[in-house]
Amino acid sequence: MGQAYRLEHQIQLLDAIKSNNSIALKGLYIANYPKVEALVLKNSGTVAHAKDIYQEAFITVWQHVKNDKFVPQNDTALQGYLYRIAKNKWIDVLRSKAFKNSKLLNIEALKVIKNDDIENDDFEDKKLKITMDAFKNLGEPCKSLLRQFYFDKKSMQDIANELKLDPASTRNKKYRCVKKLRELALKINI
Amino acid sequence: MNPNINISQKLLETVEQYLNKTLDADKLKAFEDRLKNDLEFKTQVEDIKTMLLGIEAQSLKETLDDFHKETKTAPHNITKRKTATNKSLWNFGKFAAAAAIIIAVGSIWFFSHSPNQNLYAKYFKPDPGLPTTMSSTDNYDFYDAMVNYKRGDYALAIDKWQTLLTQKPENDTLNYFIGVAHLANKNETEAIPFLERSVLSEDAFPLISDAYHYLGLAYLKDGNLTLAKKNFELSQSEASKQIIIELND
Repeated sequence: MGQAYRLEHQIQLLDAIKSNNSIALKGLYIANYPKVEALVLKNSGTVAHAKDIYQEAFITVWQHVKNDKFVPQNDTALQGYLYRIAKNKWIDVLRSKAFKNSKLLNIEALKVIKNDDIENDDFEDKKLKITMDAFKNLGEPCKSLLRQFYFDKKSMQDIANELKLDPASTRNKKYRCVKKLRELALKINI
Repeated sequence: MNPNINISQKLLETVEQYLNKTLDADKLKAFEDRLKNDLEFKTQVEDIKTMLLGIEAQSLKETLDDFHKETKTAPHNITKRKTATNKSLWNFGKFAAAAAIIIAVGSIWFFSHSPNQNLYAKYFKPDPGLPTTMSSTDNYDFYDAMVNYKRGDYALAIDKWQTLLTQKPENDTLNYFIGVAHLANKNETEAIPFLERSVLSEDAFPLISDAYHYLGLAYLKDGNLTLAKKNFELSQSEASKQIIIELND
């Protein structure tokens, strides 16, 4: 019964993540960061490295959850998965030439953390990175509208009320913003 | 993304419905059939999916920085898992390597700077700390504080080491690190007594040269040139030797 309950809990967590529920995302983020920070600090990294690696891993996990690439096996499956992805990403950094050149690499550290050979989960493909970059640089009115609709999952009616527009105009505005984003992404791509 | 492919508002909204699983059965079937058979349509849908994912991913990324402000640091976890063992507490095997790194870093750093009047500012660089490895099960409290020290949380590191010092008041390594943490925390007056105790070590203290070096720096900053010189002279480090030359100039 316990196992079933815990799995149910994981599934609820995955559903909350899929809908970008900020309480679930924040809880997951805060609870799992210390372990990753400890890993990075003890293996030649700094706090800044830890934050970057963790956030990258967090976004990868979120993507996998959204795409149903991740299926929980037990009650802490997602947490373990997040840690493993962060760890793999940190191994990649340690292995990278740039890092080796810039730091006095503690080879022992690399040996310690390289103890399991999980496939490299780098799903942030170039296209996605370009779109993220384009969205980052999109003007604020469009950015805010798209964020509210696609990330915060607000209804078109609520957004229209806030913008003091009717829903049809808001829909048009949203479409124009997506087009603008696409143009920006295409420019970056070139 | 293909710049030659146009995306209409209708298509955008249909893809949204498809992703949200709100397409009714007939439309879903037609949509999936077209995905299978129409390559251009498939590309359009993929482009839209990437864009919508990009919007969400970047929004999430920007949210994560807010979450980050509420994270606790690693040592909280480590403390929970602490093992109460005191054996081989002060194993200096790794310390010699650390000393070598300190000297190397110090030398590189020294030679990359040109002389100026503010000797302290020129020569002071915080001790990089000791390597903390994941396999350390002994001596958790000491390395726990070392993690704080390396993060730049000098005050927290000092607090934790002070607790250990009450059990081992004469310990050279503890006194040394509390001293250098005070110095890194811009508190040379506090640093001096600890560094003084560290150089009184009766054992072969591998960091002795560094201890004299930092003690010299602490006195230099404190304005006591005589004691600064005395300690630089006792240090074997290259940086100390160079400071003496500059002080004598």
